[in-house]
Amino acid sequence: MSHHLFLLSPSDTPLYELTHYSSKPVQTTTSPLASNLPSWSTSAFAGTLTALSGASSATQAHHIQGGPVRMGGGKDRHVIQMIANASLDVIEEVMRKENAMYLKSVDKFNEWTVSAFITPGNMKFVLLHESRNDDGIKAFFVDVWELYVKTMLNPFHTAHTPIRSPVFDARVRASAKKYL
Amino acid sequence: MDPMTFASLAQIRILLLPVGSIKRPSFEKWASEIRSFENIRLGDIPADPQEDKARFMPNPLASGHIHLTYTSHPPSTSHSALSVFRPSDFPLGLIGVATCSKDDSLSDVLAHFNAARNELFPAGFTYPLATNCFVFEESDDNTQLNLGDTLPGLVVIPSMMGNKKIYVGTLLADLCSNILGEFATMVQSLETPLGNEYLNASMFPAIPHASELPKSLDSDSPMRSSLPPLPSFNSQPDLQTRSKTPTPLGLKRNSSLGPNVPPAPYRHSSLPAPAVKKRTNPIGAVSSHGRLFKFLGDLFLLAGRTMDASVWYTEAVAILKSPQDAVWYASALEGLATIPIVDAWASTQSINGLAGDKEPWADISDKLNQAISMYSRAASGNDGEVNFPILSGLYTRAVLRHSMLLYCVWSAKGWGPHAFNQMLQSGLSSSDSNSNKNMSDAALERLSSITGISRSSIAATLSQAHGPWLLHLEIRERISALEAMASLFGALGYRRKEAYILREVLGCIMDLVVCAREETGSARVIGAGLGIQGVAMVNGLNRGTVGVRENDSRIGNESVIRIVKYICRVHGIDMEAVKIVDGNAQLNAGERDAETALDETEILGVSHEPFGWPELQVGIVREAIAVAEALPDYPSVAQFSLSSLRSLHPVMSQGDQNHLYSTAARALSTAKRRGDTRAVDYWAGRPIASMEILPPPLVRLPIEKPMSVLSQRRSDVVPILTGMTDPFLYNPRKSMSGQGQSLLVQNEPFELVATLRNPFVFDLELSSLALSTSGVPIETKAIPMIVPANSFHPVTITAKPLEAGVLTIRGCIVQAPGGVPKEFVLPLSTDEEEEKRARRRSAIECEVGRSKRAGLASRPWEKAGKRLNGATSQSTQTLRFLQVKVVLEQPLLRIRRTSLTHGAVMLYNGETSTIRVTFENVSSLPIDFLRLTFDDSTIAPAQQALAEGELSVYETYETEYDLIHRPVFTWDSKRNPQQVEPGEKVVVVVNCYGKVGCISGAMHVSYSYIHRRRATLQEPQEVFHTRQLSYPVLVTVYHMLECHSMDILPYSIDTVAPILELDQHEPQSVRTRKTLLNVEDVADWCIFSIEVRNTYGVPFEVTFERTQPDAESTATTALVPPGSTTRIVIPVKKFRLLEEHISQPIPTLSDRQFVVAKSNLTTAEERSQRELFWYREQLFKFVRGRWKETGGTRYGDLSLRQQRMTQIMLETLRTETARVHMFLVQRASEDPDSEVQPVPHHNGKWKPEPNAFVYLQTLVTNLSPSPLSLVLDLSLEPIQHVVFEGVLFDIPVGLLQPGESKEVEMPVAFITAGRFDATADVRVLGQSHDRSKVGQGALRIAIDVVDM
Repeated sequence: MSHHLFLLSPSDTPLYELTHYSSKPVQTTTSPLASNLPSWSTSAFAGTLTALSGASSATQAHHIQGGPVRMGGGKDRHVIQMIANASLDVIEEVMRKENAMYLKSVDKFNEWTVSAFITPGNMKFVLLHESRNDDGIKAFFVDVWELYVKTMLNPFHTAHTPIRSPVFDARVRASAKKYL
Repeated sequence: MDPMTFASLAQIRILLLPVGSIKRPSFEKWASEIRSFENIRLGDIPADPQEDKARFMPNPLASGHIHLTYTSHPPSTSHSALSVFRPSDFPLGLIGVATCSKDDSLSDVLAHFNAARNELFPAGFTYPLATNCFVFEESDDNTQLNLGDTLPGLVVIPSMMGNKKIYVGTLLADLCSNILGEFATMVQSLETPLGNEYLNASMFPAIPHASELPKSLDSDSPMRSSLPPLPSFNSQPDLQTRSKTPTPLGLKRNSSLGPNVPPAPYRHSSLPAPAVKKRTNPIGAVSSHGRLFKFLGDLFLLAGRTMDASVWYTEAVAILKSPQDAVWYASALEGLATIPIVDAWASTQSINGLAGDKEPWADISDKLNQAISMYSRAASGNDGEVNFPILSGLYTRAVLRHSMLLYCVWSAKGWGPHAFNQMLQSGLSSSDSNSNKNMSDAALERLSSITGISRSSIAATLSQAHGPWLLHLEIRERISALEAMASLFGALGYRRKEAYILREVLGCIMDLVVCAREETGSARVIGAGLGIQGVAMVNGLNRGTVGVRENDSRIGNESVIRIVKYICRVHGIDMEAVKIVDGNAQLNAGERDAETALDETEILGVSHEPFGWPELQVGIVREAIAVAEALPDYPSVAQFSLSSLRSLHPVMSQGDQNHLYSTAARALSTAKRRGDTRAVDYWAGRPIASMEILPPPLVRLPIEKPMSVLSQRRSDVVPILTGMTDPFLYNPRKSMSGQGQSLLVQNEPFELVATLRNPFVFDLELSSLALSTSGVPIETKAIPMIVPANSFHPVTITAKPLEAGVLTIRGCIVQAPGGVPKEFVLPLSTDEEEEKRARRRSAIECEVGRSKRAGLASRPWEKAGKRLNGATSQSTQTLRFLQVKVVLEQPLLRIRRTSLTHGAVMLYNGETSTIRVTFENVSSLPIDFLRLTFDDSTIAPAQQALAEGELSVYETYETEYDLIHRPVFTWDSKRNPQQVEPGEKVVVVVNCYGKVGCISGAMHVSYSYIHRRRATLQEPQEVFHTRQLSYPVLVTVYHMLECHSMDILPYSIDTVAPILELDQHEPQSVRTRKTLLNVEDVADWCIFSIEVRNTYGVPFEVTFERTQPDAESTATTALVPPGSTTRIVIPVKKFRLLEEHISQPIPTLSDRQFVVAKSNLTTAEERSQRELFWYREQLFKFVRGRWKETGGTRYGDLSLRQQRMTQIMLETLRTETARVHMFLVQRASEDPDSEVQPVPHHNGKWKPEPNAFVYLQTLVTNLSPSPLSLVLDLSLEPIQHVVFEGVLFDIPVGLLQPGESKEVEMPVAFITAGRFDATADVRVLGQSHDRSKVGQGALRIAIDVVDM
């Protein structure tokens, strides 16, 4: 099971990305309709469609044993980023109405559930996850927020500066291991 | 299939088919006429007389409506499995639309129609249930058609008919009536037990063929006229063509009958298709009537009888629930969900009463949710595998239906007629979604708060439709499903999600495009006969060499490109940053002005803060380019690559940049090869960083002079000392800095350096770079060039002005390969503008790092529009540009040769030699003005010393004298030529004077063509232009003779006299010298002596010459051997300068205005200094030295100006005021009048007798120009041995007129032997003692001892 964390600046630029694979098994059941997908075309555009519709990860999930090697990891990463980006639409709407910083399961797309955390500075932490783990995710977000605030204390760090600190990275990873 | 209408289940679908040779616009016109009937009242449907068809006919006076929807696409064959499950998806009616003119016959039209219909709907296909063909008459004079001659299945609508609409409505009602009749027939066949078995045989059964069913009791009733022509009763069903449809099952079983189903009396014995018997029945042994009831419900819903439909659906739900027939159950739920909307629409009143505390749509929503979840689970059954595509389609449509419900209620601001209308008819129109897109967030929020449906909940519902199962869908269905999703997301204002889905839509479409291209490509190879291909076949041999080019169909490309651009825009990439323009358009003046509006940020150099997700952006750009390439739309490929390069290059990797650049280049060349006239605008930012005109080489540089300098003759002002007012004194540095405006010459090329900037990581290729100028026409060539990666690159551009005047250089016109030339102006910036820019920049910088706008509102172009400060204060002030003055054509002179070798001169100090310089006029213009000026290495230090002003007056004079009177180079303008005709050569002679310390020099020739022929009578110009030619000369001056120890000595008689006596026996040289020194009156003369030393290795002959006005000239010559010193002596007659002369101050040769007397000398000192000065000057005028090389031809001057004059020398040189002569005389007797005899004297010594009275006579002569009263003092030493009469001091002489003499006599007796000195001092009376002495005389007396 994997989690994908993105720290997005107010101008939608990712400042930090993290992919966390946890050892917990995937407990969500994919839709039966998603099984046995046809491979109907081999053109590049069909590949795009396959990836974007979530089909590639679905087939991967079903043929996990002895199936084809995970194809196009980069492509999937691209899809995940697309999903995170697209979920900003919902996040922006919901954050306008809700006061909470933590927006749990704000969006669902394909197999992903999106949770978000909005800092007062309009930074958006977006987490793509597959299973429900509200408390863990909330704790994780709060941890990340604290780390982020500590990073922002650096006077040379603006809201648009990518975070490249290895310490930040290590701590976020530790927190992810703990809560997710 | 139109998933966008919520109530699609309640709509009868009618296919409009163009028939025959109908033109597209007329088809559109009539089709829209037909389409305007969206519903037909049940009361308007004509009843069918036949009993068995009356089942679905409306009751008389029924209040419902039949809803119609129209398509122009036949259903796809893969859907035929749904023919029973969902009849509303199929065209139940078919209307052919045809026009007819004189030439057509109606039977032809009918034949066409039938052929088209048979093509679309293969024989045996259930639908359409009713057909008709409308023939619209085109012209009024159509008399050939016999309207009465009606063919069955064809209706002619005459053009003269007044209200066609009513007629069409009637026709449609007839059609509906037919359809409803056919419903009954369909049901009839399924109501039999066998039919029910068919119905339950598989998940999606088909209507069995008539041949497979027993004839019903009333089988003798006539066949339906409108049924499709069925195959003969005995033939087997065409299994091959219907292979996808699950074949009916062959088991005979008695079924439990539903309440309304009539018992099936017959069993049929001859069942077809034993081949499929192996399959087990998934439904179970007993077939329920649930499916039949649901089917009836569907039909009643279509027939507009909602009450009946709801009854049948409820029954069906009850039955289908328990043995879990999920798909049918879900479908029934969907039908049930549709009914309230249809009812609500029909009643057209507001809120439905059924809602209590719940929202009115909650019930419907629940039903749909249930249906959705059931659809999604249905696939888990073991029968599901085959039906994946269908199930996915049903699921997706159910989800969309649900989303539509929510969306319609939301966008119609609540549960009301608007919402119903939208759900029943319009669906989601594009205008709807566009209007929502422009709505502000607040307005969208308001909709949510009114309806209580949040956008996120609609989105959440809609998101369910998106998943991997989309791949199961058939392509067209997939595209339409995705389109529906995208437009719903768009309408919700969820633009990122919309873009996401649109990418998938694009993926589908492009996949089709690519696949289709591959197919047609192969087809083309097989089927010869298209265009070039055919020719190639004929030629046969050279087939391989002929390029086969398909004519691409461009239809739709534009829309695809628009979608791509939209996606990119959502992600913050402006794909239109680089415009596509028509390549044939020329730059005209209007455009030029428009383009002077400069991109602010590019000038300011402020970087935008980045927007968006760079990784995604790059990916999307790649995809966009791939799409454009696949279409193919090469200009768009270029546009996309270049736009993204331009806007994304800061975040792109090197490889990407290189790739995009090469892609663009390739695409542009391809587009050009294919004859595409479109081209891309210049894209690579602002390439010109700066421009500068290189000054022409000094030889060609024209220098502007006012005409007035010609008229004013060389005044006494000496230019060399006064600075640079003279036009011809050369100083290149000064002239460069002084003249702000550079000058160019007509018809002579000039060079210009432009600095280009390339911010990209690849070498930027420019196909042309040309100057953009206004004013004087120029001749220039555009140059292609390559700007290296990531650098500033200077380029030299050559141009030639063709006329005289002012040339304005606006900037550069730059063209990228395959692009359109674009002008970039480079205005001179004024202070004001700079300040404004700085303010703007700081304003922008202030905003950087603050996130006032988040999300999509922070895209660069959105932000730019919102920045208010300073945006309005755009200056309308005209721009200023670099300007140069172009002067008339100028002649050109060059130095052909000189008499120097290696440009070097070797001189002895003081030597004069000549340099001959040959000039040649290499132009076609004559030269009528020629001036030479010179420069040498001694001038600058001297000038500097003068400028510092630390020199004393005397030194100043010396320096100035040196500069003016002894320049190294001189030239006589009068003797040298002034006119040089074209091609002519002239020789100019330059004198060169050896001056110690000079190491180098230069000649500068200024020349011009002033007196031109004027074509018009205009005012002569105020200025003219000269050019200069320089010739450097290396000068070596040997310092060989040194003068020093100048002295001036008086002739003292006692010493000199013996020397002067001539002796015949002496050698010649001595005699000559003595002759020289021999002067008549030693008192009038003095001796000038100087030592000359030869420091060189060669002997020199030195001659000193004396030229005095009142004495004959003499000269003395001496040989000075190397290393030795020779003293040269020459007598100089004393002279006296007039008082006025002496009283003049020491002149300064320059006309410097203020010569502040720095010396704080007393007047007396000053006076003596002046005397020294003037006497020295006079002396140097009289005495000149020359030298001559011994045994050689070289000669020169010997300068005395190093020599100083002392006061003593001055006294000697100057003629005394009063001259005193002293004599000793003796008289023969005491009588004073007696004869006077001079005392014998020898060698200046007087020898009187001791102890005898002699007379000391003192003759005082006034030599001054004024009368003097003089007093005489005498002294006799030793006085104690002298006896004299009278007083020695203050002896009055009296007033002496100038030139007058007076003698004073005193008797003296020397009373001892020995030497006596007598001196006489003449004083002016009445002046103080020390200053009054004006003359002196001396006498030496030697008295020999007489032997006693």
